[in-house]
Amino acid sequence: MKKWITAAVLVGVGMVIAFPLFSMSYYTMVRTSTPEFCASCHEIKPAVVAWRSSTHTNNAAGVVVDCMDCHLPAPQDTFAFFFAKSYHGLKDVAVHFFVGEYDREKAREAAYAAFDNDQCQKCHRNLLHMPNQRGAMLAHRSVVYARPGYEKKCVDCHYDLVHSERGLVMFRQTRQIPYQAKGLKQL
Amino acid sequence: MRCTLIFLSIGLLVVGLMAAPGLAQPNFAKVKEYRIERSVPPEAQACIECHRETTPGIFADWAKSRHANANITCLDCHLIQPGDQDIAQGHEKYYGRSDMPWGEAKYKMPIASIVTPKDCSRCHPDEATQYSKSKHANTIEIIWKLDPWLNKGMNSDNERKVGCLNCHGTEVKIDENGKIDPNTWPNAGVGRLNLDGSKGSCTSCHTRHRFSVGEARKPEACDQCHLGPDHPQIEIYEESKHGTIYHAYQDEYNFDAAGGTWTAGVDYRAPTCAACHMSGSGKEPTSHDVTQRLSWETQAPLSVRPQDFKPFPSGSDWKAERQKMKNICSSCHGDSWINDFYDGFDKAVTEYNEVYFKPAKAKLEELYEKGLLDKTKFFDERLEVEYYELWHHEGRRARMGAMMMAPDYAWWHGFYECKLRFANYMEEANHLIETGQKAYIAKDFPNATGDTTKPEKIFGKTQ
Repeated sequence: MKKWITAAVLVGVGMVIAFPLFSMSYYTMVRTSTPEFCASCHEIKPAVVAWRSSTHTNNAAGVVVDCMDCHLPAPQDTFAFFFAKSYHGLKDVAVHFFVGEYDREKAREAAYAAFDNDQCQKCHRNLLHMPNQRGAMLAHRSVVYARPGYEKKCVDCHYDLVHSERGLVMFRQTRQIPYQAKGLKQL
Repeated sequence: MRCTLIFLSIGLLVVGLMAAPGLAQPNFAKVKEYRIERSVPPEAQACIECHRETTPGIFADWAKSRHANANITCLDCHLIQPGDQDIAQGHEKYYGRSDMPWGEAKYKMPIASIVTPKDCSRCHPDEATQYSKSKHANTIEIIWKLDPWLNKGMNSDNERKVGCLNCHGTEVKIDENGKIDPNTWPNAGVGRLNLDGSKGSCTSCHTRHRFSVGEARKPEACDQCHLGPDHPQIEIYEESKHGTIYHAYQDEYNFDAAGGTWTAGVDYRAPTCAACHMSGSGKEPTSHDVTQRLSWETQAPLSVRPQDFKPFPSGSDWKAERQKMKNICSSCHGDSWINDFYDGFDKAVTEYNEVYFKPAKAKLEELYEKGLLDKTKFFDERLEVEYYELWHHEGRRARMGAMMMAPDYAWWHGFYECKLRFANYMEEANHLIETGQKAYIAKDFPNATGDTTKPEKIFGKTQ
């Protein structure tokens, strides 16, 4: 048999095996990336309920920010994304079965600590020009161009933004009280 | 006769003409105008229009501020979220009053009277962070760890409110009616414990509602608290060459230079308090941590290095901090001037420690040990007062006077008084030891009724 035929057959077999494999893993990734999937763990459910009532879900632009938009690296950073997602999935399952009580406050602090400003800045990119909110402009400047030793996280001021017990559904467009960052959490 | 009449009527006319402008324009203060020419939310406009009439002083102050320049309105600082505990309930009723301009329900916003460093940190995060590390912000913790007036309950709660805590700061509380507890308010103390957990008050130095940078750069911003027999920093400053030059040349000073540009020799001739303790100079950056750049704790009973100050260790290295202060000095002074000055200061501190304080303290402990002095209370025996004033009054004046180069405070109000106090104190102490006679205890020590519970917010509940 000619060499190229062997090669073509091998490539063909590879494709036959790889296509369903990739397709399945892609399908799995998509299925396990929905807020509904996250809410299937009872530990996470309250967070999803709170998220659903927040302005990250309800706004006039119709933009919905999913769990992984904030909590995982961007999917185009394929390796970081797959690694972080698999690591957290496996860890959560292990902790669910082998460790007792889920400490919500501790988990919240851990999430704040893990947040990278890049996560927020995937969407919130135009932060320096707000003619009607000059205080915010000033504060954002001190984050985007932080002085050495004064690096800050977005979530240092913008905490309690999504997962807070507000008791009612918030709509960004009908918000009566203007949104304000709360000031530095650590003060 | 006719002549007289003509003169009289001309005279009346002249007087009338002179008085007319006065009648037409009574001598009232000019009203500061306010036109909405930039985007302001209607609710904030309502605040401004109403407060222009009800509190014109606050309005005019704000109108002249940098905040008004930047379109920062009342709401940017006073707005809170519904359900917050410090919501000003009494304020809400004004939105229903038809006699008030803009008194309509549609402008209703939840607001808090008290604005805290945490609120300020929304726009000024770095300044608030630096401030939170200072002894200013943490002064309540420090005094509760040291002070016998508080810990032994030797003064009354109101003496504290109108005295000590006015500068140090109260622990703000909400009473059972949901209003700010009047025992804790009003207050703009530097270490005020706020309801949101933050410490202090930016308006101690940048007073409401002007919030001026220039104001905080003047010694007058500091002198409300840093004066008097026990911490006469302002008097010391005024006696020093720095203060003398400030008084002679302050009309040439440019206090309103932008942050980071206030320059020695250009914007000011001799430094103010802020120039050395906070402002940037040369390569040294500005900081709102007023207690950095210190190399001795000259207010403590025994002078120690800031990192060894037990109630609130600075977490810094005094040598590095001294170098920072020297860098500030070197904007105007040469090395030998700076080093030789510090030499004198170090000697003053060491002499105070070794010659005056340590022997006095040893004597006090001996008296307690021998049962000649009673440890139950403090200040109710004369030797305790003498010991206290030795370090708390003249001992501080001597050290601080040496530090900020005020000869009269270093010597006459300082070491001279230390000498007399020390001699009298030792005479009385030795007399008690020789005779075995117990000191007189003032049974009628007045108004020693203050609460001795340490603030829960800092020390927790376990007491």
